[in-house]
Amino acid sequence: MSTDFYQTAILPYAPIIIKICRAYTDTQEDFEDYYQEVCLQIWRSKDNFQEQSKWSTWVYRISLNVCLTLLKKRKRKQEYTDFKAASHKAVVGNRAFENEEINQLYDAIKRLSEVDRAVILLFLEERSYQEIADILGTNPNNIGVRVKRIKERLKKILDGKTH
Amino acid sequence: MEKPIETIWKEAFSERDLKEVPRLGNFYDQESQQLVDKVKRKFKNNLVATVVMAIVILIVHMFIEAAWQGAIAAALLLGLAWYSTRQMRRVHTVNPGLGSYQYLRLFDQTLREALAKNMIVIRFFYPLIFLTSMSTIWYAGNNEAILTGKLTETFPDLLFVGGLPLIGLIAVGGITVLIAYFSGRIYKWDVGLIYGRTFKKLRETIADMEQLNE
Repeated sequence: MSTDFYQTAILPYAPIIIKICRAYTDTQEDFEDYYQEVCLQIWRSKDNFQEQSKWSTWVYRISLNVCLTLLKKRKRKQEYTDFKAASHKAVVGNRAFENEEINQLYDAIKRLSEVDRAVILLFLEERSYQEIADILGTNPNNIGVRVKRIKERLKKILDGKTH
Repeated sequence: MEKPIETIWKEAFSERDLKEVPRLGNFYDQESQQLVDKVKRKFKNNLVATVVMAIVILIVHMFIEAAWQGAIAAALLLGLAWYSTRQMRRVHTVNPGLGSYQYLRLFDQTLREALAKNMIVIRFFYPLIFLTSMSTIWYAGNNEAILTGKLTETFPDLLFVGGLPLIGLIAVGGITVLIAYFSGRIYKWDVGLIYGRTFKKLRETIADMEQLNE
């Protein structure tokens, strides 16, 4: 990968990649693996990018696809272990960000299903419903309802934690 | 939590959180190791399958009263497994301490050399296995007498050499030569069936790494 490509096409979007990868990983090691894989996939698929959408949309789409695929692979590997117990332990012990509120929010997001995580991340990144639907390849009509439901669920989780 | 999640999201990320990006490098360390492990694992499974097959063939041949042919086929399979293992030992000597690109390149090269050497042995293996199978069909149990009787009954003018029909000998001889001639291609097809996807992935990864390093 040329340094130029990394500097101009990936690095400015690193915050997006970081936010997404953090939502799908529990450890720093996994996070770094996912981050690298996302960068690699962005570089690999750069020729497929058609300028019908924004580059940032492309980055979101690849980041989510890579994270979901890696997560699926990892789950398959862990199917004989007590996955739930292991992941819960890791989530509680993981403090990736300086601010405690955002760490708690991430803990709550990680309790959602993989797709709900993607929806809420994109919503929080102020993507339109149409854009969220485009990125996830779904119908934009039910995104709003889904966001509302996810927000309620997150609120319940967060309130449960604080009280 | 009092604040709406949108506010937390907007306000809470610090500069450090999002600017401290993981260092890129050693992209392929894990992938290289996984690929190499996969080839080794497949080879091991294939080896076990060959040994099991040799034993099963021997037992089956004993049941159909062709113990000699069974013993020869089993010996051929075990000999091939032994030779392949010897070749693969060289692959195991590739030092994983090298950079992932060097490691994969060397692994691929050693693998190609090992397969090329196997191909020399295969030139003899396939024809010999074919001849053994033909021998089993002819000599197993009471087959020789039954087949000779049926053939002479159907084709009274059939010429026999050493108790075997000449036309059959010619056909088997011809097929044996063809198998020997095409053994390389048969072997490549055989290897492709078992390792094809992994080898493809290995070569794609190497090509990817070369492009990355450009």
